[in-house]
Amino acid sequence: MTDTTYKYFHAIQILEDNCTGCTACVRVCPTEAIRVRDRKAYLDPTRCIDCGNCVTACKFHAIIPRSDSLKAINKYKYSVAIISAAYFGQFTEDISYPVAKAAILELGFDEVAEEASITEFMIDVIREYIRENRDKRPILSSNCPAVVRLIQVQYPSLLPSLYLRETPMSVLTRFIRDKVTKEKNLQDDELGIFLIVPCVAHVTAVHQPEGVNKHLQDGAFSIGMIYGRVREYLKNLQNNPPEIDTYPKGLTWALSGVQAELVDCDDIRTLSVNGIDNVMEILSRVEDHYLDQYDYIVLRSCTNGCVGGCLNVENPFVAMSRIKKMIKEGDVTEVDLSGIETMYRAGEFDVDQLSARPIMELDKDIKAAIKKMKQINEFLTMLPGLNCSACGSPTCYALAEDIVMGKASIEDCVVLLKRQSKEEE
Amino acid sequence: MNEFWHIEPRFEAAVKGYFAQPPQAELELEFPVPEKDFNTAGNGASETKNLLKRLGVDSDTLRRIAVAAYEAEINVAAHSKGGIMKCLIYDDLIHIRFQDEGPGIADMDQAMIPGYSTADELVREMGFGAGLGLPNIKKNSDALHILSSANNPTTVELLIFF
Repeated sequence: MTDTTYKYFHAIQILEDNCTGCTACVRVCPTEAIRVRDRKAYLDPTRCIDCGNCVTACKFHAIIPRSDSLKAINKYKYSVAIISAAYFGQFTEDISYPVAKAAILELGFDEVAEEASITEFMIDVIREYIRENRDKRPILSSNCPAVVRLIQVQYPSLLPSLYLRETPMSVLTRFIRDKVTKEKNLQDDELGIFLIVPCVAHVTAVHQPEGVNKHLQDGAFSIGMIYGRVREYLKNLQNNPPEIDTYPKGLTWALSGVQAELVDCDDIRTLSVNGIDNVMEILSRVEDHYLDQYDYIVLRSCTNGCVGGCLNVENPFVAMSRIKKMIKEGDVTEVDLSGIETMYRAGEFDVDQLSARPIMELDKDIKAAIKKMKQINEFLTMLPGLNCSACGSPTCYALAEDIVMGKASIEDCVVLLKRQSKEEE
Repeated sequence: MNEFWHIEPRFEAAVKGYFAQPPQAELELEFPVPEKDFNTAGNGASETKNLLKRLGVDSDTLRRIAVAAYEAEINVAAHSKGGIMKCLIYDDLIHIRFQDEGPGIADMDQAMIPGYSTADELVREMGFGAGLGLPNIKKNSDALHILSSANNPTTVELLIFF
């Protein structure tokens, strides 16, 4: 399913037939990656960070998430699902945690695992990393793939500040792959590992991970996509309560605030930021070294963290409240993580330094860039300044830039056109 | 009038040459800085940084410009009756000039001491007024020029080379 026409994979798809050219997506895109031309929306793959804002904004089902088909699990002799902690906030309170978890198994997996099972280990590893890298302050969490891509395109100077270790779902993937292939005597390609994820960014990360060259997951299913199927199994499971391990204390991973609180301790000061606009404001301040007093900043593109992912079914605040209740009322689960610990000590979860995907520069040469900026300013004085997006660019400034970069023309401005036709009358 | 000059030695000739006959700027930006308005104070610095990012100015220089401009902008909002921030951009440097409407700096030497502040109650309540503004601007600029006296407008201008 990987689209080879583009350098960058994106887990969203624009269905031209459904697109009305309304520009709702153009206006909500934080990196100005979408344009409407000839009444159809187009995505600039170099600018898109997979935040999913456009998926939520589109009322015509024209921008839809790409997801793998559940049939993909049949290709493997043995299949494992790793569930994002956000999944457990999607059910009404009469559905118990074990029932919700067992329902995933019913989809046809041989085994289910949870991101939540290694949260405690992750907290220790993150603290260790923060202490080992005293020269970098603040360190920025890399769990949210949309934030990682945002930094690559718009704040490349902050790339060295990213936490450079695998995320919990990938740590778990590597561990399960190692363990299951040995225990079940399977070849690497006979074992399929799939993620159950709350957002498009995580689907993208599965298909085009940053900073790793190792075999990770074999596909990703969104919570929204499997939800209908899962619900069919719930009733039966409620009548026959399954025996299955759960990790309530680890569900914190779905909530950006709680994760930050857990890492916070005597010698580590943390800050939690969620929502893409807040994330951008904070990254800009980090760039100017105004937030050096923090050791670690948890950044999540969605409201409240992964519970706010656009492929969830429940409202992020309700989901957060449910997960908080489960954390509060749940017991600590004893887990043997010595295998993961060994892999970690062997450097198995190290990640390469990520490269920039700069989109901000008008030109490599400053003289040429200044020339383009002057041209942009000239067009800007001609444009009405309403930022109505009717031309298909998000703002008048963006249209001016599009014109100078040869991607649009001044005739695209509807307001100017109307004024001209009035003058001619 | 009291005058303060700070010039990084390696830029001495370039700075003097620049001020002797300031050339026509390639790009200009201008922002009003209203008195005690801490919601908009900082917008000028942030917009300037965004523009320079588009020109491809390197990240370390960008940071110095953002910090110096932000501190100076906050100074105008916190201590003066309001003023104007003007950026003159060239292909090798930026010249940022802050012109306020008074009441001026009475003791220039003291103002340059880290931790010294004349900020009033309101400004301190807003979390500003730690007395690090001017020293921070000086630290991040290649040249800093201040012209002021008590009960007169103040001009603060700085140069940073790319």
